[in-house]
Amino acid sequence: MSSILEVTNLSMHYETISGNVDAVKDVTFNVKQGESFGLVGESGCGKTSVAMTLLQLQPENGKISQGSIKFDSNEMIGLSENELRKIRWKGMSIVFQGAMNAWNPVVKVGEQIREAMREHSPNNSKSENTKKIRELFEMVGLDESVIERFPHELSGGMKQRAMIALALSCDPKLIIADEPTTALDVVIQDQILKEIRKVQEVFGLSLIYISHDIAVIAEMTDNMAVMYAGSIVELGKTEEIFKDPKHAYTRMLLESTPSIIGEKKKLRSLDGEPPTLINNDNKCLFSYRCPNPTNECKNRELDMELIKISSSHYVDKCCIDCE
Amino acid sequence: MYRYIFRRTYQLIIVFFLFLVTSYLLFDAIPGNAFQNLLLNPDLPPDAYEQVLALYGLDKPLSERVFSYVVNFFKGDFGYSYKYYPKTPIELIAERLPRTLMLFAMVNIISFYTGFLIGKILAWRRGSKSETWITITSVFSYTVFYPWFALMMLWYFGYKMDWLPIGKFLYPEKWYDSPYDSDVIFVLMIKFTVIVSIIQVLIYVFTKNIESLSLKRNVRFIGFLLNIVGSYFFWNTGDALLKKTYAGDIAYHMILPVLTVTVVAFAGTALLTRTTMMEVLKDDYILTARAKGLSQRRIRDRHAARNALLPVVTSFIFTIVTIIDGSVLTETIFSWPGMGQLILDSVLNEDIPVAMATFSFIGVFALIAHFVADISYAYLDPRIRIQSQG
Repeated sequence: MSSILEVTNLSMHYETISGNVDAVKDVTFNVKQGESFGLVGESGCGKTSVAMTLLQLQPENGKISQGSIKFDSNEMIGLSENELRKIRWKGMSIVFQGAMNAWNPVVKVGEQIREAMREHSPNNSKSENTKKIRELFEMVGLDESVIERFPHELSGGMKQRAMIALALSCDPKLIIADEPTTALDVVIQDQILKEIRKVQEVFGLSLIYISHDIAVIAEMTDNMAVMYAGSIVELGKTEEIFKDPKHAYTRMLLESTPSIIGEKKKLRSLDGEPPTLINNDNKCLFSYRCPNPTNECKNRELDMELIKISSSHYVDKCCIDCE
Repeated sequence: MYRYIFRRTYQLIIVFFLFLVTSYLLFDAIPGNAFQNLLLNPDLPPDAYEQVLALYGLDKPLSERVFSYVVNFFKGDFGYSYKYYPKTPIELIAERLPRTLMLFAMVNIISFYTGFLIGKILAWRRGSKSETWITITSVFSYTVFYPWFALMMLWYFGYKMDWLPIGKFLYPEKWYDSPYDSDVIFVLMIKFTVIVSIIQVLIYVFTKNIESLSLKRNVRFIGFLLNIVGSYFFWNTGDALLKKTYAGDIAYHMILPVLTVTVVAFAGTALLTRTTMMEVLKDDYILTARAKGLSQRRIRDRHAARNALLPVVTSFIFTIVTIIDGSVLTETIFSWPGMGQLILDSVLNEDIPVAMATFSFIGVFALIAHFVADISYAYLDPRIRIQSQG
């Protein structure tokens, strides 16, 4: 299967008054056609920054310093705003984190979806567009009367369903789901996840699923990457990582989530705060939270870098064998 | 919604009643009255003063006067002007209102529109050099001492450059043998402006549902052109052709006051729009709009500006009352005999019926404007619509 998205050595930093914040550091991963890829990590580790950088929607002070993003074999970095506009939504679309505020409060839901379709296929008639929205709404389990409603008239779950319909409206090849279930209750969360998986199967879409919830990632994805402080520390098949986590951070993430199968273990919490990302060198930022750091680690001698440990499993060399 | 309108109308009537009584009491509290100088005239018999008071009913106790004023008011009887005796306040207002209406409606529309346009571009280009300079200019014209600025404009354009007339609101020599009263021309001009604006709005409303963006833009542009061509034919046929030169004279005299007040008034709208729009630009749905691949212009106009509109409309509603009451300063500086001067005149002369009539006229207009504002909020922001149903 060919890759739909190839990200190589991507780095992005925010320019702030107190210095550069390295939100994305040397990130490399591939997403294959029809595959779902998970990105997991604690809050502030740069997951959303990665998502925004893929579409180059990062805030104005966010600067891409190196790397390449190849979407459908075309390089995206260095494209003009107008060229990017054609890829946005038609190529890659996003289901936003907290769909509550992702809808313009003064425009009807149907019109907001139609607007995107109008932009990318200007020759469609209004009735064609509306028909398509109806089909999408049926698929995500929304009543067609929602087309004529305003966002504030919908519940959180309905907004998120409509958001999925919006993301599908221009037949994208890749959907980025940026914590789509945050702020929803557990029952709705489950329904939304099912909805996402369903549309992914029906349309044969590629999916990047971003979440801090490692259990959801396990359920949703084929391959995954664990992010810590802007870098990917472990990358590979979801199954393999869950069976045999190599990085101490991944292990700790797993141990902090209860498992319903297998023996009961005491849940562990992660001590310490996420590190500040301002003006760092390229040394491992996990060392001071690492339960069992090697001497090299403690003295901060090793640069962060992924190394291959099997054909489909990469891990940061720093932590390759800390227990 | 209808229940809401009904309830608001009911409130309006009570507020207006209170307004009427309070204004009457306030005018009554001014020491003296319009006829006091009769006492100073040694040629008049001593009881002449009392007779005049009795004639106007001013000898009655306050409560009775308030009561009969309010009753007569709702009957549509506003009494007679003390100063211009046989004329009624309504006649005076009818003479002055078109002048003020024409001038200040123009100013309000132009300054609101340019202010909003400039404000949204300022917010959009935040941080650029042009933004800095335009903001500084706006702050200057927002804070400038208005009479000084108006006089400087008069001095420069009227005296130094001699491009525009000063000191009159029309050329008397041109109107000397004119078959028309200036008010007739003013009313015609107002009608013309209203019809042109209505057509423009209708074009906008009817093209709203066109799906293709380029087609919509073209249709609107053609509509705009047709409107201009239609206006040209209107002024060059029949009755309007005869009035054209006079209308032209008035328009020529209007340029300077419109320009001056606009320069001062647009800045407030521009700065307010800039601030609110900068807030809106931080909202998540702007990011959604960008992610959808919409054009910059569409994000700016459709998503950002549309949401920034509400506070701006509120401020517009507060200033819209100047369409009726004008501004004493502007009218004095530009010798524009409109409502502002009438109000000032009647209050200084204690011409209570005229003062009361003008004030209550403004009151009615202000109340209706606020009422319309409330309803237009519901149109502008659907979130308000729900609450207003209860």
